[in-house]
Amino acid sequence: MSQLIALRIRMEVLEWSGAWWFLLTLVVQAVLGPLIGMFIWSAVYPADSYVATYYVALLLVTVMTESFEQHTFSEKIYDGTISHELLRPQPVVINTIGTNLAIRIWMAAMGIPVALLAGFAFGVSLTWTAVLSAVPAFVLGATLTFCWTFLLSLTAFWTERVHSIVGFGWTLNTLLGGTIAPLAFLPGPLRDIGQVLPFYGMLGLPADVAAGRVHGLAPVLTGLAYQAGWLTVIITCAVLLWRAGIRRYTVVGA
Amino acid sequence: MTAVVVEDLYMTYRAPIRGSGWKETLSSVFNRRYREVPAVQNVSFALAPGEVVGFIGPNGAGKTTTMKILSGLLHATSGHVRVLGYSPWQRRSDFLRRIAFIRGSQPVGGSQELTVLDTLQYQRLLYDVPPADYRRNLDELTELLDLKDLLQRQLRALSLGEKMRAGLALSLLYRPEVMFLDEPTLGLDVTGATTMRRFVAGYAERAGATVLLTSHYMADVASLCPRLVLIDKGKVQYDGQLDQLAAKLSPYKLLRLTAPNADEERLKEAGEVVEASNGTWVLRVPREEVARTTARLLTELEVADLAVEEAPLEAVIDRAYREGVG
Repeated sequence: MSQLIALRIRMEVLEWSGAWWFLLTLVVQAVLGPLIGMFIWSAVYPADSYVATYYVALLLVTVMTESFEQHTFSEKIYDGTISHELLRPQPVVINTIGTNLAIRIWMAAMGIPVALLAGFAFGVSLTWTAVLSAVPAFVLGATLTFCWTFLLSLTAFWTERVHSIVGFGWTLNTLLGGTIAPLAFLPGPLRDIGQVLPFYGMLGLPADVAAGRVHGLAPVLTGLAYQAGWLTVIITCAVLLWRAGIRRYTVVGA
Repeated sequence: MTAVVVEDLYMTYRAPIRGSGWKETLSSVFNRRYREVPAVQNVSFALAPGEVVGFIGPNGAGKTTTMKILSGLLHATSGHVRVLGYSPWQRRSDFLRRIAFIRGSQPVGGSQELTVLDTLQYQRLLYDVPPADYRRNLDELTELLDLKDLLQRQLRALSLGEKMRAGLALSLLYRPEVMFLDEPTLGLDVTGATTMRRFVAGYAERAGATVLLTSHYMADVASLCPRLVLIDKGKVQYDGQLDQLAAKLSPYKLLRLTAPNADEERLKEAGEVVEASNGTWVLRVPREEVARTTARLLTELEVADLAVEEAPLEAVIDRAYREGVG
């Protein structure tokens, strides 16, 4: 299976190379939120170096974990081309994962220079130890983002309004994931709730760890545990929704 | 031993319905109504290994629905279906590795930016084709389908005929035992259609593959399928030999003769004149009188050429669609 995913990534990287300008527009859209947040909160707390460090880390996390399954997967349900994939002797999700990773590779290649530029402009210095310690949270966060978007995209089996649904999910992510405001700046109860919800694990937690805001092993492990818990819940929901959706697709008309 | 078994197959779609106007629109928000649309009703047939069968019927007859059920894309409402011993709707990997479903409307799926060769290599890994078999199959397919100039080209840049050839190569690379071909010559020019027919016939013979073919082009059916399953309004109307259907529905044969000096009145006595031009005549003659009429015409007229032909298959099938097989 890993060989098929690797091959799929290679194919998709090649395929998307023909649409680098489109990927550039996606990168621009992805970096806008963190950059706006950085400008606003830097104005509010000009002396706090955490703001710029956090938002540069968040920018990196955002461009490297963006997911577009409402386009890459749901559209195949709408135009019926998912039938081709259903007839292949491999799980359909392999192609979706391959496409997701290929787009992320391209977006990272285009987004990292933007992050470096922003870091240089704001005098940000990320430490290697902090960045490395953020890797587990980043990997789980990236997986969580994919699974969440894929889960919402599965609603395409029932509705043609999948873009609105995924858009709503994106809004929740932006509000509660740490883009509009770092979770540390939210009022107490809201901050506590935010830390438990999956959205912080997708964006804010890896960025906070990379920015050196999370001190000690215990809070990192707690964050990882929340991520793993939400991952289990979302994957279970996705499997159930996939089974129901594919049954509907094959009963109503492929 | 059978490759495909279909027994008492039913497929009913549930389609939402709504009246027109504000009142109906608002009430449909709270009270959704549906209509049952029977697509396939009580269909039964079986295909032996290596058999090539035409599956024909007018638009909306249930052909593609049946093909989708057989390939595993649709889950039948009821009935018993086995393909190579598998329940298709379960879409098990080892089942999918042994069948191919090729649609003329969408011959090639997946990434269109990739070259044909890249896609073939991906297909090799996907279907676990051993490298030696891959090279042998690729060489053979390249020659038979004239793929040499296509291998380095992107799928999106291929014409419909080229896509069909690439689609066939992709599907046959792993040597499927059962092929479902849905309108494989759709939109192809004469050369493309002929190439496709010749290739399918050759593949079925060499590999001993079972083929179920739908087509609105009777040339496909006539050249590939000794047996015909005719379906209409979701029900099987005929299952048997093609020539027997022709004999049943068309009790006439056509005599095409070239006799420049022939008198039309004398020809009318021999049969119904359906065509006449420049000394060539086409007469419609009852089957049982063909031998006698032919002998009589050869004796009485100065005939330069004479041929006995079946009625065009299109006419036979058209009659079957309009009037039923009976």
